[in-house]
Amino acid sequence: MFDVTNLNEISNAIIEGEGDVALDLTKKAIDADIPANEILDKGVIPGLQKVGDLFGKGEYFLPELIVSGEAATNALELLEPILSKGGAPSRGKFAIGTVEGDVHSIGKNIVIMMLKGNGWDVTDLGVDVSPEEFCLAVENGDFQIIGLSSLLTMTMPNSAKTIESLKAAGLRDKVKVMVGGAPVTQEWADKIGADAYAKDGPAAVKVAAALLGKS
Amino acid sequence: MQKLTGLERMLKTIKLQEPDIVPHFDGIDKRVRDAIMRDTNASYEDFIEFLDIDGIVIIDRVYTWSYENLGISKSGRQVKRCQWGATIQFTAEETGIPVEPAIKSEKDLDSYVPPDPNLPWRYEWLKQLVKRFKGQRAIIVGCTDVFDVAKENLLGDTQYYKAMVKNPDFIDRANEIALNYQLQYVKNCIDIGADIIFVNGDWAMTEGPMVSREFIKRFVAPPFQKIVEYAHSRGVPCLKHTDGNIWPIYDVIIDAGADGIHPIDPMAGMDIGEAKAKFGDKVCLLGNVSCAFSLVSGTTEEVRQETKEVIRKAGKGGGLICMSSNSIHSGVKPENYLAMVETIHEYGTYPLEEHFNNLVEAGSGIW
Repeated sequence: MFDVTNLNEISNAIIEGEGDVALDLTKKAIDADIPANEILDKGVIPGLQKVGDLFGKGEYFLPELIVSGEAATNALELLEPILSKGGAPSRGKFAIGTVEGDVHSIGKNIVIMMLKGNGWDVTDLGVDVSPEEFCLAVENGDFQIIGLSSLLTMTMPNSAKTIESLKAAGLRDKVKVMVGGAPVTQEWADKIGADAYAKDGPAAVKVAAALLGKS
Repeated sequence: MQKLTGLERMLKTIKLQEPDIVPHFDGIDKRVRDAIMRDTNASYEDFIEFLDIDGIVIIDRVYTWSYENLGISKSGRQVKRCQWGATIQFTAEETGIPVEPAIKSEKDLDSYVPPDPNLPWRYEWLKQLVKRFKGQRAIIVGCTDVFDVAKENLLGDTQYYKAMVKNPDFIDRANEIALNYQLQYVKNCIDIGADIIFVNGDWAMTEGPMVSREFIKRFVAPPFQKIVEYAHSRGVPCLKHTDGNIWPIYDVIIDAGADGIHPIDPMAGMDIGEAKAKFGDKVCLLGNVSCAFSLVSGTTEEVRQETKEVIRKAGKGGGLICMSSNSIHSGVKPENYLAMVETIHEYGTYPLEEHFNNLVEAGSGIW
């Protein structure tokens, strides 16, 4: 019988990147009538937080981050339908895309995995997203934060253009803007008027929570 | 000192000997070249001679790989299938970005047919360069890192990274495909007259290596080392490009046999003076005037100052090829690139003590 005290096994499966184990344990926890939000809060989130810590300490790298993120995604795919049916509140609504001219997706996808695994409602706007498309998303969605990802030095200026477009459309005050990506720095974020900079996926979770005063 | 040819200058520098002037070369976008030449019909070779640049580099992905047109993306950009089978979306630059890999699962490898490195057309431009520049300027052949080909073009980054943890044999098989092609390509290039091999592909990001040191040594460095060993067996030096913070792994690159490391990425906090002190007595340093900031948005004076600083920090005793921190891409101001080249020619003449005080010593750091 799976009991609530074993939720740390889900955490461990995520930390170890054991996707099948994470899936199996999540199924068992659900079958044992453990509330989905408890599985999330005591199983998935602590696991991903540990993964983030290991990444921050330089003990985990992109491969470990990806297999752990996928293990968390496996668990979430079972939990999300139950959570949404039960009307469980998310930590916030986040839209993210790679800026115009840039089609890299790996950084964005890692951020999405980490945010979702930490209870955020995330919309993936895709790659090569124009300033107009970001504006449209902000106008039509009730996102609290948008994330602008760029992995090329040449496409960093398109983050600035997107922020300018939000201002021009009168949407800048409606949403917080977070920037990130390999060449992006805090200095650059400050220069272009972004609200925050996150250097990687685990940092994005902390920064997003801080932006909404939930840290 | 007697004036050296560009080739002699480059080779002497790579051997960590003091040349007559700090050498320079770069990958230079056509738009920047055309703006400087004020002539869209001028060839790359004409430009190299016009600015008296010491070497010319062939980027293999741009000039020697085949692409099949697939159409136009939603944002009006060209989409092509590269010779490895990956779908590539092009941006404003000359090199595209893989958006879908050739291999979707390990089973696909069983029937995979790799591209043929021996097709004569791949070497036509190299032959022209040899005819025009051999013995005078360094003919540098870019060779995409096996790690990059296998990760970006064959497997895709997510599948590759997962396989590193879950299925190492899959990586080994993909690496072997890429390595066999690149070894034959390098052999053919050296047969024709290439002077230097320049292996391009990032092992690190701004924060640090993409993968652990253990994975670098297991999967990433060995195929690179095979390329280096082959080039060395033919008496040809081999340079390694990787962006990012390489402090945790620079010794692995050196141990694999690299003769030079490019670009000592300033965006990742790499200081070329510190690199000179730590490993400037082991390998040549290439870089590192910022093509993210000063060359793009700085004044010509700022570029001159930064170029002088690179020479001051890393030029002592040779072992510095002064160039941009990645490439002269389309966003670089032409006047800033000119300012960099002029400054190298003006302040790069040896002995550097005539221009600078406080030159940084190689090998004075903690190894």
